[in-house]
Amino acid sequence: MNARHLASDETLAGFAAGRLDEGMSLVVAAHVEMNPASADALREIDAIGGAVLARGEAVPMLSSAEDALARLGGGRELGRSPAPRREAGVPRVLQPYELGRWHMIGRGVSLRRVHVPGAEARVFMLRAAPGTRLPEHRHTGNEWTTILAGAYEHEYGRFARGDFDEANEDHEHHPHVDPVEGCTCIVALTGEVRFKGWLGRMLQPLVRL
Amino acid sequence: MDADALVQAIASSADRQAFARLFDHFAPRVKGLLMRGGTPPDLAEELAQETLMTVWRKAALFDPTKAGASTWIATIARNLRIDHARREKRSRLSQVFEILEEEGPEQPDQVISGSERDARVRQALTGLSKEQYRVVELAFLEGFSHQDVANRLSIPLGTVKSRLRLAMAHLRRHLEDLR
Repeated sequence: MNARHLASDETLAGFAAGRLDEGMSLVVAAHVEMNPASADALREIDAIGGAVLARGEAVPMLSSAEDALARLGGGRELGRSPAPRREAGVPRVLQPYELGRWHMIGRGVSLRRVHVPGAEARVFMLRAAPGTRLPEHRHTGNEWTTILAGAYEHEYGRFARGDFDEANEDHEHHPHVDPVEGCTCIVALTGEVRFKGWLGRMLQPLVRL
Repeated sequence: MDADALVQAIASSADRQAFARLFDHFAPRVKGLLMRGGTPPDLAEELAQETLMTVWRKAALFDPTKAGASTWIATIARNLRIDHARREKRSRLSQVFEILEEEGPEQPDQVISGSERDARVRQALTGLSKEQYRVVELAFLEGFSHQDVANRLSIPLGTVKSRLRLAMAHLRRHLEDLR
């Protein structure tokens, strides 16, 4: 059993504070949704926020509790309506976003765009047939990936369902998709990525790199 | 003050007195926290008021097994701040946080109480040196990258990393038997 690949504390904290690009955040959120260890780490980070709040410095308010209640008019939500479930295989955190349609971009590889208004990163789901060799590529920006199903393997290890692959500048890698299960993942990209080979040439215009 | 019980009193009986106590305790702290993170005073006032208004409206959704009241309130303030900062971008990030909180990520085997975790973290933070505390605050609460923390405090990156490592080891020792 390989060690799991988790988002770093630094990445989780940036995510929790809303400091990361929304597209990158979405890939982190999918990882947190699927990975109990990172969900736990995120709860700890949130608890640090709570503790700092509890012991933090108080600055006097100009308005009072009565003002707040007056603005509210007393209304309360009595329960939550369960969020509509999306189709199987799509993380729940993608619910607020519009998804494109799957389309083939090459032999054994399909892509589905995730529209994230205002994000700098480009976000998409990628599905690759068992045994596919994804094109070798090099980054000037970041490429963050959460594996939704199946697995792939490259120079930095084997990445399976729920794992987070944080490839930052100057990584060069060459993923090999699991020969039995194939792989579906969600990817966010910033900066430039240069692919090599036939699939790269197919992918390049589609991900507008 | 048992903040968890006060939130639950709002949930069960729309207890206005419980709300007043929560407001008086937390609104000034939310305001202080936001101002410390660089939010201007008038906006911090507005967001602090909205945070407590959200506490009233969503009290029924408060679940102390997930997080204690102060953590819950801190995340509400965080979501409002994000919404405000990204308003013009039509950001949906706060909805993403709500989905993670509401439906709960896939649970680990053992269920631990959020209130208990909060208490431990609070206790652990009191054991940090002033320097460690500041680094934790910037890295974990403000979410700055380690490099940005180093730049802000004018200390070497290695110092940031070693302070954080020590602080997190300390924190996780306090949480060990909960994990």
